Amino acid sequence: MFRYFVCFFALTCFSFLGYANDNHSDFREEQNLYGKIYNAPLGIVGNNKVSSVEELYNQKPLIIALVFTRCYGICNPFLLQLSENIKHLQSNSDFNILVISFDPRDNLQDMTNLSKQYGLENNLQWNFAITDSIDAFINSIGFIPKWDSVIKQFDHDALLVGVNEKGLITKNLLGIRIVEDVHKMISSINNVFTPSYRLPTKSNIFSCFNYDPKTQTNRPGLGLLFVALPAIITFLIVTIIVIKSKRTVS
Amino acid sequence: MQQHSIMLFFMLLVGIGTIFFVSIFMSSLKADNDSTGVKNLLKKRFWFTLILIVVLGIFAAATLPKSPYFTYANETPSTVIHVGTMQFSFFLSTKPIDPKSPSGETIEIPHDQLVEFRVTSFDVNHGFAVYDPSMRLITQVQAMPGYVNNLRYKFTEPGEYHIFCLEFCGTGHPVMQTTFKVI
Amino acid sequence: MNIDSLKLKKISALWIIVILVLFIASIVLGILMRLNQGKVIEQSPLTFYTNMTTHGLTMIGIWFAAGMVAVNYLLQRYVKTSYGVNLFAFILTVIGVVMLWVTTYAGKFSTGWTFLYPLPFRDLGSESWSTPLFLISLTILGVGWLVWSVSLMAQIFKKYTLAQAFAWQHFKSNPTVETPPFILITTVTLVGVIASLIAAVIVIVLYFAEYFSHGDFVNDALLMKNLIYFFGHTIANEMLYLGLAVIYEIFGEVSDRPKWKMTWYISLAWNCAMVFILTAFFHHLYMDFVQPQALQIVGQLVSYLASIPSAAVTVFSIVAAVYGVKVRWSIVNLLFFLGVAGWVIGGLGAVIDATISNNIMLHNTLWVPAHFHTYNAMGNVLFSIGFFYWFSTQYVDKLVLSKLTKYTLTLLIVGGIGFLMAFYVAGANSIPRRYSTYPVELTSGPYLAKVGALFATIYLIAILIFFYNIAKRCFVILSASSR
Repeated sequence: MFRYFVCFFALTCFSFLGYANDNHSDFREEQNLYGKIYNAPLGIVGNNKVSSVEELYNQKPLIIALVFTRCYGICNPFLLQLSENIKHLQSNSDFNILVISFDPRDNLQDMTNLSKQYGLENNLQWNFAITDSIDAFINSIGFIPKWDSVIKQFDHDALLVGVNEKGLITKNLLGIRIVEDVHKMISSINNVFTPSYRLPTKSNIFSCFNYDPKTQTNRPGLGLLFVALPAIITFLIVTIIVIKSKRTVS
Repeated sequence: MQQHSIMLFFMLLVGIGTIFFVSIFMSSLKADNDSTGVKNLLKKRFWFTLILIVVLGIFAAATLPKSPYFTYANETPSTVIHVGTMQFSFFLSTKPIDPKSPSGETIEIPHDQLVEFRVTSFDVNHGFAVYDPSMRLITQVQAMPGYVNNLRYKFTEPGEYHIFCLEFCGTGHPVMQTTFKVI
Repeated sequence: MNIDSLKLKKISALWIIVILVLFIASIVLGILMRLNQGKVIEQSPLTFYTNMTTHGLTMIGIWFAAGMVAVNYLLQRYVKTSYGVNLFAFILTVIGVVMLWVTTYAGKFSTGWTFLYPLPFRDLGSESWSTPLFLISLTILGVGWLVWSVSLMAQIFKKYTLAQAFAWQHFKSNPTVETPPFILITTVTLVGVIASLIAAVIVIVLYFAEYFSHGDFVNDALLMKNLIYFFGHTIANEMLYLGLAVIYEIFGEVSDRPKWKMTWYISLAWNCAMVFILTAFFHHLYMDFVQPQALQIVGQLVSYLASIPSAAVTVFSIVAAVYGVKVRWSIVNLLFFLGVAGWVIGGLGAVIDATISNNIMLHNTLWVPAHFHTYNAMGNVLFSIGFFYWFSTQYVDKLVLSKLTKYTLTLLIVGGIGFLMAFYVAGANSIPRRYSTYPVELTSGPYLAKVGALFATIYLIAILIFFYNIAKRCFVILSASSR
């Protein structure tokens, strides 16, 4: 019996941890799913062999980050978090990353400097690139940056786009996200079918399961304890009755 | 198995069951005081149980892989249809649906292409059941608030398909329906 | 006749009369629903759904209670049961049912017996007080039944040890103590009953928590659905097992055949059934893809497995008790025999529906009410009515198989088969369940509903004749003095 309690206590703590880490997703992430990404010609820092998006996703599924180098806002923390997340992945060889500028002013030198900023200039998994058909490219994603001429900055989302080896968009992530969400993206670009997922709700402390993309399984949540509770309480009741009635007999 | 073969299979089983019980009953009417009934009961029981386990085992092994969670799992869908449900209407859209101001659009799905319905509810539990042009239920999934269920299906026949709610959701439950076209 | 057994007899007779009156009222509600679907009468959707909610909850309640009444009565042969608790359960059941009918008819509460979260909070057309009153009435019923079940179990464990009550000593050869099959089945069933009632208690607490938090606390729809089906599916199954316990105890007796002996395989089968039944409810959530696949597969396998002990042991035993031997047939064992056949056929429909790849085409169509009405209306109800006959005639009358009884049984069978076939055919025609009226596209729906209503009326006539025969004898028992 004690062992059960320890197990359930551990489960409870675990599910609270999962709850604390849960980041809220946005319904806009569901845009343009399974649409084909535009095959833009690319200029990639330190890589002359590949010259288009198609050549890139034909090699391996792709995670695309949209940034611009003169950004004062979200681009830097966004890239920093992404590079940290990728570093902490246990197996990170089944995909490539494309960091692409949506600012026509950016040139290859700007992108080289950006890659050096994160120490990624020699990392073959990371591709820092520019393209001359950025409008068609961001249109195929549904990404719309707005130019603010007063502050001379783009008003834009921090967007990660997951593309499978056929060039189809399988998942979007908006905002700065935790490593678990990047895991979900990697599963989806590798064509793992997830029959369902949770939406952010007001409170999910009693949810039965939290999806763990690392193992692609559902991790038991506090709710599961509640589903098992009737059986456990019944077991306790029977035990108490048996012990009590023995006393009355003797 | 389609509904009508299910019905046929069931009627066959019912027929066998009825003959079985009637003949048992008749045998007791015919019996006299000296009749002893079934002999070697334990042995017969053993064989009956074994056959039952084998039959059910074969049935489980044959049907489990056909469960909707595994069908089309290795293919990439060509389109996503977002489905939002509310008391008492469906919203179908190729674009994501904002729960705060849900809206739908007319849907046309090309035939023989894999489509993924992402079904959720904005209030209570609903059902999302697809009926083909001959009004036969072909696939379904539940719409549960707080969760999105992904249902994949490949339509082979062009025509007008109906969607009905198959989870009781209140007084308007039977009028909750919509249609889409397969072209 | 001692005073204790007379008191038990009287309370049992009272239970039986109340149960049958509520049964007839609920059948009428069912027929009204089918007539509305058949467009013979016209009710507002709200009236239809209050009828549906009342019909479902009352039926589950009374047939569970009927099983408990029978088991309580027969348990007195082995252990001393508490009259006070029986009376307490009766009073709470009556209060609970009255409150339930007030919530549905005065409060227009109409969420169906499933009251799936969060529907009771968004139940359009109902009074705002009806949701808390509904939860209170469920609490009253739950408390009454929980106290009753725990009390019966406590009495069993006063006489039998844990191993004896579950007949574990029969796994060894030549056990010194024999556990009567009735005790084993009752114990196993009470475990399931208690578990299902506790699931209901948790659901009620979670509902109340959200109700009183004014939106600060929100429940998880998936958890609530799991718990509601844990309660609903399990209690509906256990009430069948209560009926089977009665058959094990008195089938031999009324048939002039030896009483069924405990064996290792009966013990094994019922111990397995106890475990299987607690996880079979997962088959209600097949179409919720968010439920982990492992649980879905467990749901199908366990639903299959649960049929093995029932078929291999109970059905086989009754077949062995009848096949090729002279049986003294009376209304009691005929109802038992017929009930077992209905139970098996309903079980076949259930196994088909519990297959995930079939469920996607049958879930929430009329196939579902088709199969559960088969093993309730043509199974469990017959077990209980068989017991009622046996109970009412053993002191007042002799059991004879009159011509009228034969005609009544024929009406019951014809009515039952016709009304069930209307459900099955509609299910195979993809007609949804719980529709007050059918969309014009579903052409066969109204037609089959009319057929169903017609045959259900024939079934009702048979039940009315049974009710007259049973109730008049029960009134004699009620007016008997302890002389």
